[in-house]
Amino acid sequence: MPPNSTQRLRFPDYFFLSPWVITLILFWLFPIVASLFLSFTDYRLLSGSYSFVGFDNFAQLFRDAAFTKAISNTFIFTIGTLPFTTCFAILLATFLNGRLPFKTFFQSVYFFPSMVSLVVVALIFTSLYARGGYIQLLCGLVGAPYPQEGFLFSTATALAAVMAMDIWMATGYYMLLFLAALQSIPNELYEAARLDGASAWRQFRVITLPHLKPMLLFIVVLNSIKSFQIFVEVFVMTKGGPLNSTNTMVYFVYEEGLQKFNIGYGAAAANILFAVIALVSWLELKLIKDKTA
Amino acid sequence: MTTVALKSYGKVAVAIVIALIMLLPFVYLLLGALASTFSLTGTIDLASYRLTFANFATLFARAELYLPLANSVAVAVIVTLGNLFFCTLCGYVLARRKFPGKGFLMVTVILVLMVPVHVVIIPLYLMTNWLGIFDTYLALILPFLVSPLGIFLMRQYISAIPPDMEDSARLEGASELTIIWRIVIPLCKPALAVLAVQTFMVNWNSFIYPFILTSSESMRTLPVALALLQGYQNIDVPQLFAASVISVLPTTLLFAAYSKKITEGIIAGALKG
Repeated sequence: MPPNSTQRLRFPDYFFLSPWVITLILFWLFPIVASLFLSFTDYRLLSGSYSFVGFDNFAQLFRDAAFTKAISNTFIFTIGTLPFTTCFAILLATFLNGRLPFKTFFQSVYFFPSMVSLVVVALIFTSLYARGGYIQLLCGLVGAPYPQEGFLFSTATALAAVMAMDIWMATGYYMLLFLAALQSIPNELYEAARLDGASAWRQFRVITLPHLKPMLLFIVVLNSIKSFQIFVEVFVMTKGGPLNSTNTMVYFVYEEGLQKFNIGYGAAAANILFAVIALVSWLELKLIKDKTA
Repeated sequence: MTTVALKSYGKVAVAIVIALIMLLPFVYLLLGALASTFSLTGTIDLASYRLTFANFATLFARAELYLPLANSVAVAVIVTLGNLFFCTLCGYVLARRKFPGKGFLMVTVILVLMVPVHVVIIPLYLMTNWLGIFDTYLALILPFLVSPLGIFLMRQYISAIPPDMEDSARLEGASELTIIWRIVIPLCKPALAVLAVQTFMVNWNSFIYPFILTSSESMRTLPVALALLQGYQNIDVPQLFAASVISVLPTTLLFAAYSKKITEGIIAGALKG
């Protein structure tokens, strides 16, 4: 069948496509290729000249204590936030999916923190976590121990404090995605289960969870990709400190590449992170798919 | 009957408690921004609390926050308009035409969304330097005028519209631009609204790109200014909070007015993955 008149490529179409093609080449493809290229050089912005150093940057990175610390922090951050965020999000979504007055209002309120600029949220929590701030007062009220110098100034609590804020902020976003998945489950399934006398927990396990699987898979991957890229929180709240206890991979890339201008070294760190993200996403996809199959 | 009512009250109580957890930090922000005094430890003394707009007044008198506000508005508005225009044109071609390389172009739209930011920050910084646009408005605007998510959204929406009207207009000799302007755009209004709200919000809140692509104080956007001014001695917490309230205000108002469009956009954006 010959293409109809709509499908034929016309002259102005090239102009219509060109903004994306130009953006793609200039601001996406070129940077990705450049990043790969730079990571094998000793390019430093201040000297301007560069030579190829093979895998030296990579070898040096793994001897760099700050980098290994940044990797482990990033993993702790991801593993320590993702399960909580996901569970809270599923719970909130199931809660909102039931009968509840003012449902849309509550949904909007829960979702609200993820709409706000991350910088602003980080500023609010910097004050809340400060010495003598509200979180310390709260801890004092319930008798929980807390660091006198403020949560963000203690190596024991700084990372956990950033993680707690992140869970609080992100839950509403994933709740919304789960809610969309829940609403696509036909109601008849639940009615039939109730007729059979299935308990609420059983309904959740037999009907809800299996239907949520694709969304769950997607959210685990999306959330870990986002978590591996944590930067703004660290920049605003701790600058990687105290004693590198909140230094993360993207913060490391930023500090090496754009503060000390060790472009080649920073690019190498960025590429390792890229590889880690790709590998983790692939593993997650494989693991969850195998389990479902 | 009573147990059902009790259960429903219980649920509402739980819902309210969670709502408080989500909202209290923002109540703190607002009260802090409107406070006449603020303790050094970051708590608000409710006994001596007096509502005042003085912090906002000082804020607007200071260039280091006034200018970023203007920058943020300008950049977010221009980028949003650019996305409405370019994503529609590009989405239209991808939805309607068949041409070699189309599949590749479609794949790039999805793949680019998965590239982590940090892989491109260093080269993007170098790139803007080479192009001579580092630390200018062009650096804040050019890379974002057309977005993969916007293209994807518009392509999906236009694909679902039957092309009959366009075909008959073409038979009557209408030009491609006339067809887009008179037929496609009016039909796409719901998708364009989603795209506009989404793009504005993302760019209004954007931190990392404006942060690495500019260096001078006069080029900062509001989130960048907030992040960099924090901790400096000449700015106090209430003023920082007042500036934060201004930064949160447009998103809050947009959210209140278009919460449905926003959630739709987010779900559409997430589900394409």
